[in-house]
Amino acid sequence: MSSALAWWTVILAVGALNYLSRLSFIAVFARIDIPPVVARALGFVPAAMLTAIVLPSIVFVAPATLQFSYTNPKLVAALVAALVAWRTQSVVGTMVAGMITLWIAQWLLRVMH
Amino acid sequence: MSRIFSRPDFLAGARDMVPTLLGILPFGLVCGVGAQSAGASVLESIGLSALMFSGAAQILATQLLAAGAPVAVTILTCFVVGLRFLMYSAAMAPHLKALPTRWRHALAFVLTDQSFAATIRRFRESEDPRNGASYFLGTGALLWGVWQAACLAGYWAGNLIPVAWSLDFVVPLCFLALLVPTLEDHSSRIAALAAGIAVVLFDALPMRLSLTCAGLVGIAAGLIAARRRSAR
Repeated sequence: MSSALAWWTVILAVGALNYLSRLSFIAVFARIDIPPVVARALGFVPAAMLTAIVLPSIVFVAPATLQFSYTNPKLVAALVAALVAWRTQSVVGTMVAGMITLWIAQWLLRVMH
Repeated sequence: MSRIFSRPDFLAGARDMVPTLLGILPFGLVCGVGAQSAGASVLESIGLSALMFSGAAQILATQLLAAGAPVAVTILTCFVVGLRFLMYSAAMAPHLKALPTRWRHALAFVLTDQSFAATIRRFRESEDPRNGASYFLGTGALLWGVWQAACLAGYWAGNLIPVAWSLDFVVPLCFLALLVPTLEDHSSRIAALAAGIAVVLFDALPMRLSLTCAGLVGIAAGLIAARRRSAR
């Protein structure tokens, strides 16, 4: 598949699918009978998928290189950010706290070495 | 349209979004840089931000296409990440019920994490759904406009931001902020834990299949944990 065709296929398909997801219940607010097990499974999608997306960018410092220690600034920043997210439920607060912690941790790491 | 549209509410919605721009701007810049470094043309970059209007989907699409992932896998992955919109849609539906169809269709397009969080609060405070609708439109219009500008700026000038600032870290931070509130019950925490272990174990899989596999492992673990709880 040519590059432009691949890009536009993805853009249009994901654009349409995202829009349909957003519209889904807003358009069809009448009750749909989803099998209970599917409904329960859907309930775990955010926790499972978001963890799967977030974790690698925190614990991998390089491809295939795990680092679970305080010398990984991203891990330290993520822990502080998670605490802020838990206490405040604020997206912006979480981002600000995480970035500031990341910069401080990176700076400390440079100063100590 | 004119009877539903309320200028003060529209402006209030836009005004309440201003603090959120702090996170949106760097996120949009990162998405623009991602599109540029993945080899997208400027039109494709605009297509990504205008039609997907989801930082998570845009980042994933550019990363996967740049890594040579098949188009079908890319679409499926982006769709799975967008599944949270189903829940936002379900939560919004009762508040938008009384509105004309084209209002509902338009508002669905600008349903994002940030607009949802601000507007659902407004709907709960206000008796009249029309006030909330204009407020919703205000949050969505500002976010959409700023998002296009930020992504385009990132596409053209994003490389001017020093790599040492690690600005791309705002992306996992944004997802972390969305993740934490989902961990309120025991079964969801088990689902997250299992998905986290799985995504590290499956890291070597091609096409970022580790994401999908970890998601399925997490869902299965959550279902098992919930069953055990209810059996007790």
